[in-house]
Amino acid sequence: MESSYRKGLERVARQMILIHRADIVIKLVLRTIVRDLKVRHAGIFIYDKKHDAYIVKMSRGNTGFKIPSGFVKIKKDNPIINYFTAKRFSFCGDFILLDNIEKLIRSPKVKKDIKAGEFLDDLQTNLDFYQARACVPGFFRKELVGVLFLGDKNNGDKFNTKDLGFLSTLASDVVMAIKNAWLFEDLSRQIEVNKRLFLQMISAFVSSIEAKDKYTRGHTERVMMYALSIAEQLKKRGELSNRNKFVDDLRVAALLHDIGKIGVPEHILNKPAALSEEERDIVREHPAIGDNILKGVDELEMVRLGVRFHHERCDGLGYPDGLHGEEIPLIASVIGLADAYDAMTSDRPYRKALSFDEAINEIKKNKGKQFDPKVVDAFLDYTQETNNKLR
Amino acid sequence: MSRKVLVVDDEQEIVDFMERFLIRKGISVVKAGTGEFAVEICKKEMPDCVFLDIQMPGKDGISTLIELRQLSSSLKVIMITGKDDVDLKEKAAHAGALDYITKPLDLSDLHRKIQTYILNT
Repeated sequence: MESSYRKGLERVARQMILIHRADIVIKLVLRTIVRDLKVRHAGIFIYDKKHDAYIVKMSRGNTGFKIPSGFVKIKKDNPIINYFTAKRFSFCGDFILLDNIEKLIRSPKVKKDIKAGEFLDDLQTNLDFYQARACVPGFFRKELVGVLFLGDKNNGDKFNTKDLGFLSTLASDVVMAIKNAWLFEDLSRQIEVNKRLFLQMISAFVSSIEAKDKYTRGHTERVMMYALSIAEQLKKRGELSNRNKFVDDLRVAALLHDIGKIGVPEHILNKPAALSEEERDIVREHPAIGDNILKGVDELEMVRLGVRFHHERCDGLGYPDGLHGEEIPLIASVIGLADAYDAMTSDRPYRKALSFDEAINEIKKNKGKQFDPKVVDAFLDYTQETNNKLR
Repeated sequence: MSRKVLVVDDEQEIVDFMERFLIRKGISVVKAGTGEFAVEICKKEMPDCVFLDIQMPGKDGISTLIELRQLSSSLKVIMITGKDDVDLKEKAAHAGALDYITKPLDLSDLHRKIQTYILNT
């Protein structure tokens, strides 16, 4: 008997290292209990923050009853919980055995103590709801995380000290697994929060540039939208590897692509006429300035490529470095096309916006010259898929 | 005389659980997985009380409740609701539901309601 317990415990311990999901560990532990202890059913209450109560997460058994997961709760003031947490009475210990409770109820000492009697009656009624013969708590430090409950043994035997030791170990295993899962969930949530904060900070930062350059208001948002739509199509065409990272970087790079304009004098940015050659050269510095601004941020290496090279052209006539064709990083080609399309279809003081059809023709004409052909194809897919809604 | 209760829920596990819980209190149980079937059962033989899921596909809890109450205006119906079904609970009360129990269920609460509405009448 003892060796089968040890084997069960070792098996659970081994699995725990491999499994990080609490629900799977719980299932494994309950299965181990039902099999090795030969009980009719076993289940577990687990503390749930949302309900501020203990919820039956799982219950299983060959015979006897089964409680649908998440269907039943016990409140924190339930005697089954109170027995382990408040320990109001001297008989409250480290486990509950129904036999002991029944004995206590009949004892002369309890018969004299009305409060204890009421508590025990209530406890007995609650144990009966779950047809529980035994309950074992799972603590993490001083916090009661879960309670295992067990039905009768198949052969009608009583639970002995060894059984309870075995159950205590399993309860700690479950609690540990749950704690880990909670930690992991908290961490994932925190990462999401940070990510959102980061993007919102960047957006705020970008509006400060847009405030300076009145012709490009809303431009950044649109470029990001077009760029992400192009990426979506590239994904469908199987042209993206490591796509999640690409899309994350693309979003940030699209937001930051004009950050270098902060180094371009306002009178040039807002000039209500075509620019002189000299002024144009100054404007052409903005991708390199942007790249330079972001130089200190380690995590933005890929983003910097998008910022620096978004005005490069396939034919090598772009700036700042005159890269050719495949030398231009994809992230920059995508932003380049999104940026050009938005510029073409926006009014400028010295020219009217092109119509949708004119802009599309312009893009087709420059496929392989200014624009990366596969990016053009993805963009055309996008305009078609959205039923030419951009029109 | 044994009391008879109808349990209506589209989730089989829940109906089965309720059945076992009620049977252990000496109550006989009929089960229905849909509102339509619940109405059929009540047309043949009226139970003493109905536990009725408020959210079901097909005929939902509220329409079922209204039809059941048309069959018998004194029928006791206790709704099984979710924590966030605030509007539905109000609708159910207007349509004559006697009380409700909220999922996840507190079995002490369920036990009390069974005593009050079924066993002690």
